[in-house]
Amino acid sequence: MSLSRRNFIKSTALLGGGIAIGFNLSACSKSAPYPNMSATALQPNAYLQVTASGEVILQLHKAEMGQGVFTGITTLAAEELKMNPALITVQHAEFHPDFRDPEFYVMITGGSSSARLSYEPVREAAATVAAILKSAAAEHLNLPESSLSLLDGKVVHANGETAFADLISIARGMPAPTSVSLTAPQDFKYIGHYNQRLDARDKVTGSSQFGLDVQYPDALTAVLLRSPSFGGKAKSFDAIAALAKSGVRAVLNVDGAIAVVADTYWQAKQAASVVKVEWEAGPLAGVSSDALRAERHSLLDTESGKNVEEKGEQSDARGETLNALYDVPYLAHATMEPMNAVAVVDADSIQIWTGNQAPDIALSAIADATGFSREQIRIHNQMLGGGFGRRILPDYLVEAARVAQLSGHPIKLVWSREDDMRGDFYRPNSSVKMSATVDGNVVTSLQAKVAAPSIMGQFVGAVSNTLLPQWLPNGLHNTLAGLAASSDPAATEGLVETGYQFPYMRTDYVMQETSIPIGYWRSVGHSQNAFFMESFIDELAVRTEQDPLQFRLNHLTADSRRRAVLEEVATRADWGNPLPGQFQGLAVHESFKTMVAQVVSISIEDKKIKVHKVVCVVECGLAINPDIVHAQMEGGIVFALTAALKGEITVIDGAVQQSNFHNYEMLRMNETPDIEVHIMASAAAPTGVGEPGVPPLAPALANAVFAATGQRLRQLPLKLV
Amino acid sequence: MAELSFTLNGRPQALTVDSGTPLLWVLREQLAMTGTKFGCGMGLCGACTVHLEGSPIRSCSYPAEFVNGKNITTIEGLAPSEDTLHPVQQAWLEMNVPQCGYCQSGQIMSAVALLESNQRPSDDDIDKAMSGNICRCGTYPRIRKAIHRAAELSVQYYQPNNAEAGAES
Repeated sequence: MSLSRRNFIKSTALLGGGIAIGFNLSACSKSAPYPNMSATALQPNAYLQVTASGEVILQLHKAEMGQGVFTGITTLAAEELKMNPALITVQHAEFHPDFRDPEFYVMITGGSSSARLSYEPVREAAATVAAILKSAAAEHLNLPESSLSLLDGKVVHANGETAFADLISIARGMPAPTSVSLTAPQDFKYIGHYNQRLDARDKVTGSSQFGLDVQYPDALTAVLLRSPSFGGKAKSFDAIAALAKSGVRAVLNVDGAIAVVADTYWQAKQAASVVKVEWEAGPLAGVSSDALRAERHSLLDTESGKNVEEKGEQSDARGETLNALYDVPYLAHATMEPMNAVAVVDADSIQIWTGNQAPDIALSAIADATGFSREQIRIHNQMLGGGFGRRILPDYLVEAARVAQLSGHPIKLVWSREDDMRGDFYRPNSSVKMSATVDGNVVTSLQAKVAAPSIMGQFVGAVSNTLLPQWLPNGLHNTLAGLAASSDPAATEGLVETGYQFPYMRTDYVMQETSIPIGYWRSVGHSQNAFFMESFIDELAVRTEQDPLQFRLNHLTADSRRRAVLEEVATRADWGNPLPGQFQGLAVHESFKTMVAQVVSISIEDKKIKVHKVVCVVECGLAINPDIVHAQMEGGIVFALTAALKGEITVIDGAVQQSNFHNYEMLRMNETPDIEVHIMASAAAPTGVGEPGVPPLAPALANAVFAATGQRLRQLPLKLV
Repeated sequence: MAELSFTLNGRPQALTVDSGTPLLWVLREQLAMTGTKFGCGMGLCGACTVHLEGSPIRSCSYPAEFVNGKNITTIEGLAPSEDTLHPVQQAWLEMNVPQCGYCQSGQIMSAVALLESNQRPSDDDIDKAMSGNICRCGTYPRIRKAIHRAAELSVQYYQPNNAEAGAES
């Protein structure tokens, strides 16, 4: 039976980055009961229920990791229910097929897609509930539906108001309407206007519950000792000294790692430090990040790679050739909350409490590792202490489930910061040869050739075993991974479809086979490709003696969204008129269907880059909660400043050298510039804001450094010489 | 093993701990006070910040035995009542500071300590007091604004005769 007939991969189309692959999960029933099912509640769809007491409960099908879905998605429901968002009870949803993303085909939070892909379904789900409640009220009150309206959890009518609670028993017998009409944007009361964060109060009192805060009776704490080099496994271990330590219950080999199980975290850590383990060298023993970079440079010279985009005729590429070699390193996610999970394994069920971005993938991964079926496993999601793509991976849930299964105890698995820093799925390292031809002062071609490992190749290889039927021969999984890898859109996203107009444009990709584990890191391929493209565009402006803003405008069409944000940011930042002693840099980038332009103002003090101000303009369609859009731009800029000024994970002998925040540093308060954000007015449907603030920052900063010093820095992190 | 007795958010506590256990884990595991967070275990990120006799300490690397007989305040002990927030918490709410929120307990504890010693901190004062606290979501610009706002609210908060004492939430 052929691969295509089996329809294993439903889609490899890229939607502006993120996770671009879908899986056919044929084993799942379409008629699964809705989450938090209640015999007495009105529950016409998976998203919403109204309990017998009139409480409106929303199942939040996206993970809240700071990006604001807890507020944003609730606001969508509130709009159609005509109630203050704060009156809705929000629960982290367990897996349900109806929560599968229509583009990724799994229940996942990623690709800055939550607002965009929830905008219609959540409003429709709420409008359905509203319509049923109105019908029930019309029957109950014997009044025409047209005379009724909803307000803050009640039905309002000529004779007063009726609580939802009084309508539920009638409403439960009502058929759901076959179609509903949604509130017109000009009538929005909450969407575009609501400016609170519904999760903020619990987060300032310390009562918000993250995965690490979950308490389970009699749970023991486990820490894992993992191979120092990736992929290695324990050959043997000596736990005599560890078992003699206070509170230690067990030391066991769990799939090649050594688990130390104790009453408390501190006891487990103390005991782990005296376990003697003999490690079998992993497949990456001997690999270093310096050698990998040298290999990529060599690949750029020797391999033609795969053509990803070509526009115009090669013969149009006339004139003198300019080449520039750019590099970026591996980066860690470094979420503030280290990975963790609570797992309880019984004879016929597994329950997990954790913060995770992709419970659908995790269910399959846990089933695969434990021999349980997906239907026997429940994942109770919590607040995520940062995600940034790290928590798409299910590795830490699987570990917790396996330790619980093998030890026979309820287990709280806790990663140390060192475990987290050294056991990540890193932003890929990447090298790019940017080339252009210049005829007189006219740029006649722009070309990019990328050498980088493939996230998709690793991801498909890792998860296909869990998502595809068990009876498939292993070779097929590898074939699938290989097919996906060589054309991984994440490697070149942001270098293609830029909107820039040059006579000849071309992008090619050469896959690097060897890498430590890599994954989806806030803005994915855009995080490095914007740096390559927008720095080189600046180089071309300099080479052709044009203002960097004007050069960009000269190579954009009149109706380009890029043009609009560029012109706006130039006005807002007073482009061309930096404060005395300061220098400006500019960049613009589209990612996840959102356009962002930034102007960075810097000075150089004692050979150090001081960032004074970042002015940011974002075009993201309708901003559901404008303040959260502002916050995501601010946060994206700080996240990107850390990467541009400090971020570098290095590898020696297959092991990550960094371990904690002293050698993998974060931007701090005293280094944070003023940040000014402007949202372009738009009535279009919302697009993503969690990631798009990141990509333009590094090139805007590097371009400002060039303006200040004449040094063109083509590697991140930026280091002045 | 060591016997430990101290005052936590105004209430006496007595328990037995393994010698050397950092205060953070005693709070989080033995006392189930999970508002104080684990971030790095080395005093580098500030997520675990609590007050020892009103001064900020990093509880992840502070042996619990050292707080014997002392007063400890955590994020759970800041608000004067269920319905009333501390002015720093109130300012955090007004500025919509938290994103993921994981570091914010530590940020708030550092900010409270700053304001208790300096009622009108300058931006430089804020840099000095707050640069030991990492926020990966990048809420620093809002933290700065919230501290200035909290300074305004605190004037009322610390004058009990003022009609607006306490910050309604």
